[in-house]
Amino acid sequence: MKKIENKKASQIRQIWALVRKSTFIKLGVSIMILFGIMAVFSPIWIHINPEVYDPIIGADPNVHGSVGPSLQHPLGTDDIGKDLFSQLLRGSQVAFMLGMMVSVFSTIIGAAIGLIAGYYGKIWDTLLMRLADIILTLPRLPLLIVISGIFGTQSNWIILLILSLTFWPIISRVIRAQTLSLRERPFIESARVSGVGNTRIIVKHLAPNVLPIAFYYLTVTVTGAILVEAGLSFLGFGDPSNMSWGMMLQWCFVKGYVFKAPYWMIPPGLCISLLAFSFYLIGVGLEEMVNPRLKKR
Amino acid sequence: MEMLNIEHLTKLFPLKKKLFSRDQQYVHAVDDISFKIEKGKILGLVGESGCGKTTTAKLLVRLLKPTSGKIYIGGEDIAGLKEENLKKFRKNIQMIFQDPYESLNPRLTIHSTIAEPLIAQGLYNLEKIHDALEVVGLKPPEGFLYRYPHELSGGQRQRVAIARALVIDPIFVVADEPTSMLDVSIRAGVLNLMLALRKSFDLTVLFVTHDLAVARYMCDDIAVMHNGKIVETGNAEEVIRNPKHSYTKALLSAVPIPDPRAKRERIRIRGKVV
Ligand SMILES: Nc1ncnc2c1ncn2[C@@H]1O[C@H](COP(=O)(O)OP(=O)(O)O)[C@@H](O)[C@H]1O
Ligand SMILES: [Mg+2]
Repeated sequence: MKKIENKKASQIRQIWALVRKSTFIKLGVSIMILFGIMAVFSPIWIHINPEVYDPIIGADPNVHGSVGPSLQHPLGTDDIGKDLFSQLLRGSQVAFMLGMMVSVFSTIIGAAIGLIAGYYGKIWDTLLMRLADIILTLPRLPLLIVISGIFGTQSNWIILLILSLTFWPIISRVIRAQTLSLRERPFIESARVSGVGNTRIIVKHLAPNVLPIAFYYLTVTVTGAILVEAGLSFLGFGDPSNMSWGMMLQWCFVKGYVFKAPYWMIPPGLCISLLAFSFYLIGVGLEEMVNPRLKKR
Repeated sequence: MEMLNIEHLTKLFPLKKKLFSRDQQYVHAVDDISFKIEKGKILGLVGESGCGKTTTAKLLVRLLKPTSGKIYIGGEDIAGLKEENLKKFRKNIQMIFQDPYESLNPRLTIHSTIAEPLIAQGLYNLEKIHDALEVVGLKPPEGFLYRYPHELSGGQRQRVAIARALVIDPIFVVADEPTSMLDVSIRAGVLNLMLALRKSFDLTVLFVTHDLAVARYMCDDIAVMHNGKIVETGNAEEVIRNPKHSYTKALLSAVPIPDPRAKRERIRIRGKVV
């Protein structure tokens, strides 16, 4: 038993050594850590003076109209004296949580469905892939409006639900294709000759071999989720009880400050692109790493 | 008593239908073959590439479902069994695949790979895995247990595959060209290992090969396969010395089979010159 643990530890060390070698991943993770720090710093910043710095209910009574960066307001304020830096920090939190949760949920659902459809084939494949097709053709925005209507409100939870439900079909298609080709590989056949049952073949033999691709798509999905959330918020379908980068952009646009206040417009736009880009970088690095054929030989 | 008895075994693969064509066409990969293997014997299934050897092998271990025919193993017909009912029989019959670079899951340690059949049968026991590794010449076993296939050579991988096949004590083993993907220099080692194991495990073996010289070295009997059919069967030495069927003759003339004694002489002569 001890040996197995040692081996696991050395495996993790090996992966870590590979990660450290990849410039893409290093760069991506560095950017991500930056935003992570921002997210963690958000409550600390609010704590300094909640009445002024709370991104939802706070506002600086001494400020009239939007002002540029100052010591008190590192990024300036919006038109009613709300601190933009505070909003940006909160936006980092929301983007992280939402992006991560959407990608984890949709990757787990997508991988499970892709594996089942690909391995069992026949009626399972037909049913599940039709379902995926149907969901893929549903436009997200009207769907969001309809579902918000049903729940009577817009919240990040509904956005999370809709993004997860609309992102899994892409992943399941990829995993299914991968499973189809893996299913014919001799090591699956030899597992079957060894008497290994279907469930164990899926869990032990197929899943670990599609994991790298699933992981890659997880990072791609984070990018997608962040961008879609920003788009939805910008169009006014964000969670009104919270703040996100997309909503910052929306307010800037609605209040007519796009050209008047670059300190309001640029930071959230930059953050959206950078965070999305960091996951993209990690994805590229992972793909290179887990697909040794791309690198070696 | 025969361990294995194949009767009128047939496997058709449907071809893609042509546009507007009404009737379905089939590849007759295995076309009404019958043969027997006596307990403890090695039958060589010989034929050129594409003649249906692998399909036959996969039918016998029921990776494929026969279109028709019977497969009696120890008296029981397994040709029509459903996957759920095959489990019991999976303990008795194992397969060694052609390409050891493909037949081992790259993400499983050697330990996990060899443990698979034991776990499937509820017989897991680390000692058995140790023994299996030792028996196939991977010593010391501790040095191999927690390594991954990519850390091993082709010959070592094939030995792992053999260990996995033997760890649950099967009675019948199908080996599908087990050395054709290996370096020539290590082939003899693996072949000799299989001969030794066949003795100590009292195995009945279907040994698939396209190489008549290997068949002669390994097998008691030979079945010659051509276009999905078995055209000739008999004692290995007999078939090679005195082929009856024209296809066997053609096979033999294409590949001269070195007589072991002649070979030794040639070597001696060369020795003198040097
Ligand atoms: N899954 C399959 N689908 C369709 N045709 C197949 C399949 N497997 C094998 N065949 C065909 O059956 C014939 C015999 O193949 P195989 O048994 O692999 O021959 P061998 O092992 O003797 O080289 C070949 O013509 C091959 O193309
Ligand atoms: Mg073959």
